Amino acid sequence: MVQFVVDVLIRAVDLALIAIGLSSVYSLIRFPNVALVQYATTGALLALGLQMAGLPLVVAAIVACALVGIIAVVLNVVVFERLLRAGSAIAMIGSLALSMVFSAIFLVTAGPRPKRFELEINPPLRFLGARLTEHQLISVGISVLAIAVFALILFRTDLGRCMRATATNSVLASATGIDTRKVTNTVVFLSGVMAGLGGIGLSVKGEMSAQLGLDMLLPVFAAAIVGGLGNALGAAVGAVVIAAAETMVTNVNFGPLFGETVLFIPAAYATAASFLLLVVVLLIKPYGLFVAEVKRG
Amino acid sequence: MISVNNVRAGYGDGPDILQGINLNAAGGEIVTILGPNGCGKSTLLKCIAGFVRPRGGAVEMEGCDVSAVPVHDKIRHHLMGFVPQTDNVFSTLSVADNIMLGARYMPAAERNARYAELMAQYPSLASKQERKASALSGGERQILSLARALISKPRVLLLDEPSAGLSPMMMHEVFAAIAEIRDRTGMCIVTVEQNAFEALGVADRAYVLSLGKVAIEGRAADLLADPAMRHLYLGGKPPVVESRPPFAAVN
Ligand SMILES: Nc1ncnc2c1ncn2[C@@H]1O[C@H](COP(=O)(O)OP(=O)(O)O)[C@@H](O)[C@H]1O
Ligand SMILES: [Mg+2]
Repeated sequence: MVQFVVDVLIRAVDLALIAIGLSSVYSLIRFPNVALVQYATTGALLALGLQMAGLPLVVAAIVACALVGIIAVVLNVVVFERLLRAGSAIAMIGSLALSMVFSAIFLVTAGPRPKRFELEINPPLRFLGARLTEHQLISVGISVLAIAVFALILFRTDLGRCMRATATNSVLASATGIDTRKVTNTVVFLSGVMAGLGGIGLSVKGEMSAQLGLDMLLPVFAAAIVGGLGNALGAAVGAVVIAAAETMVTNVNFGPLFGETVLFIPAAYATAASFLLLVVVLLIKPYGLFVAEVKRG
Repeated sequence: MISVNNVRAGYGDGPDILQGINLNAAGGEIVTILGPNGCGKSTLLKCIAGFVRPRGGAVEMEGCDVSAVPVHDKIRHHLMGFVPQTDNVFSTLSVADNIMLGARYMPAAERNARYAELMAQYPSLASKQERKASALSGGERQILSLARALISKPRVLLLDEPSAGLSPMMMHEVFAAIAEIRDRTGMCIVTVEQNAFEALGVADRAYVLSLGKVAIEGRAADLLADPAMRHLYLGGKPPVVESRPPFAAVN
């Protein structure tokens, strides 16, 4: 049981980092940016490159996340602000096209073979009977901290107040003197940083491939939608729900249910779990489990 | 104060909704923009405010072309206050937070002093400061949105249908509040109105839009007597409201 919780948490935090960014940016510019999952891969690859260039992993990760944040802002200003003038559907298709460009760049620069960070291999730690590695522990800790910092920004700072006001009603926000474009780009920057961190977290715990981001597409969208698209903290809860479903599907021994000793569902079906859950939630609660905290009116 | 010169504007790659509009408004006067539903009144006001960029022509405030100045800059420089037509308060925030949100960038002392002045000015809000805006009546919301726009002491005030959806009594109260602001502060006030004859009772001058152009313009008193106005708004029948006392006398 403890192992289950640990596994869910390990999976959920990185999912949450990306999904929170997706949901927050959506709340401001009303289109889900598919390319955000590619920012995760970008972060991982940049961190790897910087590590190979001789930087300690922590420094490499910080620099990589900041770079991804900047890339996210540049793309928002150069690409998405323009596309949005033609409507959110066009912007979303544009973000899909941009994702493919990213995939091509990843293949050219990093090659098709999976990579790993250089990490010391230590024996796993034991915690109430559950096993996890030191790297997993540190990575989860940093991710949880990042989510907590984002929540603090959202609910305790002036930027957070401006962000929620802009999400609720951007015309009225401008009329109160809020620079909604600056607020949006600040949140876009934070979403890039969090996506980059999520990508690095995923790669620290497993492999890093050019596919990393695209593999996260469905779970990230599922988490954001289950949490109520536009609701940042809902996305965090959605990530836990999706991670739990995935972990349940892959880690639980379904043998006894069918009179066999061992019956595991292949890990490849994990994504199917998030997809199934997404469909079920959408059928029952079309706007997600949590309505966006900011509603017009 | 405000000078709109031959402005053309529209949305996206759609047609020109405004097809060469000229409008002037001076300090100490209320200018109202009238016209049938969908004729572009809100678009014109959004153009003046800076939410919609003109495709041609220019919008000047205090003699400077402000067409390219972002809305929030005009607000922060105390140049302009703006109240949108719908969703003009944050319904999940309290009355106090709604007003204070419009003053985040002001020094705390000035902000608090202004807030106290506004509370003295509008007792209906003062008794409900901690109430959520969603719990207010339609009229109280209009007053709240007005107070929010006024906290920065703007020199120009733009109001989009401040009387929409209000009972006749509340409408008079809102109009009286607007006239009082003009008389006390000498602000330049531009309103958009559906209720033409009611609005003309409080305005100094008016512009009537039709098909993207200014169809009629003139002093409010003259327009009230203009048969073309009656024709446009009441199918030729004399307006009932004319027999009412002017709004200044109501309060
Ligand atoms: N955001 C928008 N995008 C596209 N068209 C719009 C938008 N807002 C208004 N319009 C169109 O512009 C025209 C004028 O609208 P508006 O200025 O709101 O009229 P009014 O305020 O006089 O009722 C209408 O045909 C309306 O459909
Ligand atoms: Mg309108």
